Amino acid sequence: MSEKPIPRAALNTPQDELSPAESVKRKGFISWLVVGWVAFASATGTFLAMIVRFLFPNVLFEPPQSFKIGFPDDFQIGVVDERFKALRGIWVIRDSEGIYVLSTVCTHLGCTPNWLRTEGKFKCPCHGSGFRKSGINFEGPAPRPLERYRIVLAENGQIIVDKSIKFQQEKGQWSHPEAFLKV
Amino acid sequence: MAEKKPKSRLTAISESPVWKSIFRTGIPVTRRQRMMGILNNVFLHLHPVRLPKHAVKLKYTWCMGGLSFFLFLVLTISGILLMFYYRPTVEYAYTDIMDLSEQVPLGIMRELHRWGAHAMVIAVWLHMFRVFMTGSYKPPREFNWVVGVLLMFLTLFLSFTGYLLPWDQLAIWAITVGSNMARATPFLGHEGPGASLLAIGDINLVTMSSDVRFALLGGRFVGEGALLRFYVLHCIGLPFIIMIFMAVHFWRVRKDGGISGPV
Amino acid sequence: MLDWLKSVVDFISTPSISLTLILLMFPFVFPPTAWFETWHRRLGLHNLWTNRGGLVMFSVITLIFVWGFTDVNFSKILGKPDNVPIMILIYSVFFFLWLAMKSAYENDAHIAAGEPVQEYYPPEDKVLVWPDLVYIELIALILMMVFLLVWSIGLPAPLEEPANPSLSPNPAKAPWYFLGLQEMLVYFDPWLAGVVFPSLIIVGLMAIPYLDSDRKGSGYYSFAGRRTAVFVFLFGWLVLWVFLIVVGTFFRGPNWNFFGPFEEWSVTKVVPLININLSEYVWVKLLRVGLPANPLVRESVGIIMLVLYFGLTPVMLARGKLRPLLDKLGSIRYSLIIFLALAMVLLPIKMYLRWTLNLHYIISIPEAFFNI
Ligand code: HEM
Ligand code: FES
Repeated sequence: MSEKPIPRAALNTPQDELSPAESVKRKGFISWLVVGWVAFASATGTFLAMIVRFLFPNVLFEPPQSFKIGFPDDFQIGVVDERFKALRGIWVIRDSEGIYVLSTVCTHLGCTPNWLRTEGKFKCPCHGSGFRKSGINFEGPAPRPLERYRIVLAENGQIIVDKSIKFQQEKGQWSHPEAFLKV
Repeated sequence: MAEKKPKSRLTAISESPVWKSIFRTGIPVTRRQRMMGILNNVFLHLHPVRLPKHAVKLKYTWCMGGLSFFLFLVLTISGILLMFYYRPTVEYAYTDIMDLSEQVPLGIMRELHRWGAHAMVIAVWLHMFRVFMTGSYKPPREFNWVVGVLLMFLTLFLSFTGYLLPWDQLAIWAITVGSNMARATPFLGHEGPGASLLAIGDINLVTMSSDVRFALLGGRFVGEGALLRFYVLHCIGLPFIIMIFMAVHFWRVRKDGGISGPV
Repeated sequence: MLDWLKSVVDFISTPSISLTLILLMFPFVFPPTAWFETWHRRLGLHNLWTNRGGLVMFSVITLIFVWGFTDVNFSKILGKPDNVPIMILIYSVFFFLWLAMKSAYENDAHIAAGEPVQEYYPPEDKVLVWPDLVYIELIALILMMVFLLVWSIGLPAPLEEPANPSLSPNPAKAPWYFLGLQEMLVYFDPWLAGVVFPSLIIVGLMAIPYLDSDRKGSGYYSFAGRRTAVFVFLFGWLVLWVFLIVVGTFFRGPNWNFFGPFEEWSVTKVVPLININLSEYVWVKLLRVGLPANPLVRESVGIIMLVLYFGLTPVMLARGKLRPLLDKLGSIRYSLIIFLALAMVLLPIKMYLRWTLNLHYIISIPEAFFNI
């Protein structure tokens, strides 16, 4: 091997100007290039979408969202019932007009507040948010009231609570008939 | 070799075929051997052969980058050992951690891992501080600073994912509070500003079971799914990513002209 | 022991007092301009970065810790195994701050005298990595391992009660390195304190090399030539990050109330926390007309104020003091710098508004989760 031939493309001499026929070829090549890149981009995009979708399973092994909690007479007027706090994450509260169900998830960052009976408020230990018995926030960093869950009567007179449907006061949803069970 | 001096045992070993097959150079005594020792070793080859004097001064680099890397290695080794005894399920996680101190004699592997992680966070911060104070982020090292910021972020995230694994009160509440911030991500979290704009008719697209927090936790709250996801991220996902960026980081230190110094 | 002094320390460490003191002191310790520099010298603060200054700082910190540990409440909080890293952080931050500033001041003196800096060696004056570097590394690594082993043997890793989703501990804290962020959560909503600000911190850090156009001062410690840049960085790191971590770890107790270092963490401490929105101040207290129904009208005052804050301040500054910066950097980089700086300063501003006016939100649109 003596001298390596210098590739033609590296030399920028006038003879290198492409003839019309050749330049059509280059154009054709460019459009193939575009097709190639689009195909590559969409394949990558599809794959990324697949990965993102993979993060969201179809089946969740979490406790059921809808359950029965007993008869209206099981709940005393004026009392915050804490029996379902640990297992279901709800407080059941009955006032003179009816029953409503509050979520035990602080609207600030999701700690579980404590019901302080003597002070008549829910107090969140994490950053000090306070909520009244109705769920309305009045102190601390919580931006909005506790959420209420759907509450209806089953045919046999038992109360059904459905946590998959929630009612937010700031959106004016607490007046919804299923946010409050008249008894 | 005209006169025959009795060789020391060490020299004899270092001239044996086995030694030479591994290390090529003998014991680094001469200048040439020392240079070849660095060049021929894949690990030492991270370093250049010669350095300006200030670059090896403790007073200049504090060795903080090196210590960050060393702590990462300590954490990798102790972490792999911990994995032998730890099962990432709600049922076993807590008791496995409790047992760790009794599984084996001298059970301080968990301590090494935990305190080492804290030490690494501090070392990385101090490294960043020294890089700033020596102005080493200035051209041509801008990009390596950017890589460094990513490394710091990954270090913190590694630490954060590990925090959940003992499955005690400290763990789940720290992660509950921490991951609930993701809930408030603009547009991507179901309680973030703008999320309610992403809706088709009456149906919200971003809900409790379709937002970024769900993707992180694999559930609507910190439970079984979250424990498994954090475990996988902590033991495989994030170490994998951080090692790639470390490789880039070290490579760039060399390619940007070695440790910075006055011109 | 020394009970009156304890109550003084408790009082001083209240965030409103301690932050104010730090903000007042900071520009004199790390003078960002020539004017502060004169006072820095006049007050003798440059002596901090000498051997004697280092010794004094070290002894003061150690003395405070030793004295503090004679107190039950102090040692209960600081002695928690998970708080040991913070003690290490405090010591190492002070030590390395001192070391860096000392080197910087020495170099500044060299530069002023027209001499080369201490990191300078003639280019041909090089050393071999084996043995000069690898041995230093080996020793550093062994010392680190010894340190870790001693720490691990001496202090068992904590493990609390098993996880219980229905019982939040009081107080519930993030890991210590995120406590600065958690402290912001007291003043801002999660989408800001937990998402936007952290993103800005990351982006802002990454942007530093591209925003700092000054080519000088690379490869050696120095202060005089780049005092403004160092001031801004140290302000962010020391005050808005490390200081807030210390506050979050040591001073935030049950119900996220503030407790001085010598105060007992009592669950029953009651601090009224009734906060008021800016819109309520304006419409209800000032104009006495009641809140308008349309959220945009209701929050118009806050929106206008923030738009002015982020929109007008850069323009005003560009007309005045910061004209040279604008000329040097061009409008894009200039705007980015000012935006990041204004976002950074928004945190102390909101803190003071909370402490003085009990201000809850500047803009409050809970309907759209948009509260600032
Ligand atoms: C996992 C974390 C990290 C590791 C293991 C690491 C490792 C290293 C090492 C070994 C060096 C050589 C010089 C020295 O030891 O100081 C270095 C240099 C450097 N690091 Fe890092 N680093 C990390 C994080 C960071 C961070 C957070 C930053 C900045 C934001 C950063 C920016 C730099 C820069 C700019 C250099 C070049 C310095 C010079 O040339 O003087 N690194 N890093
Ligand atoms: S989580 Fe309830 S106040 Fe922060």
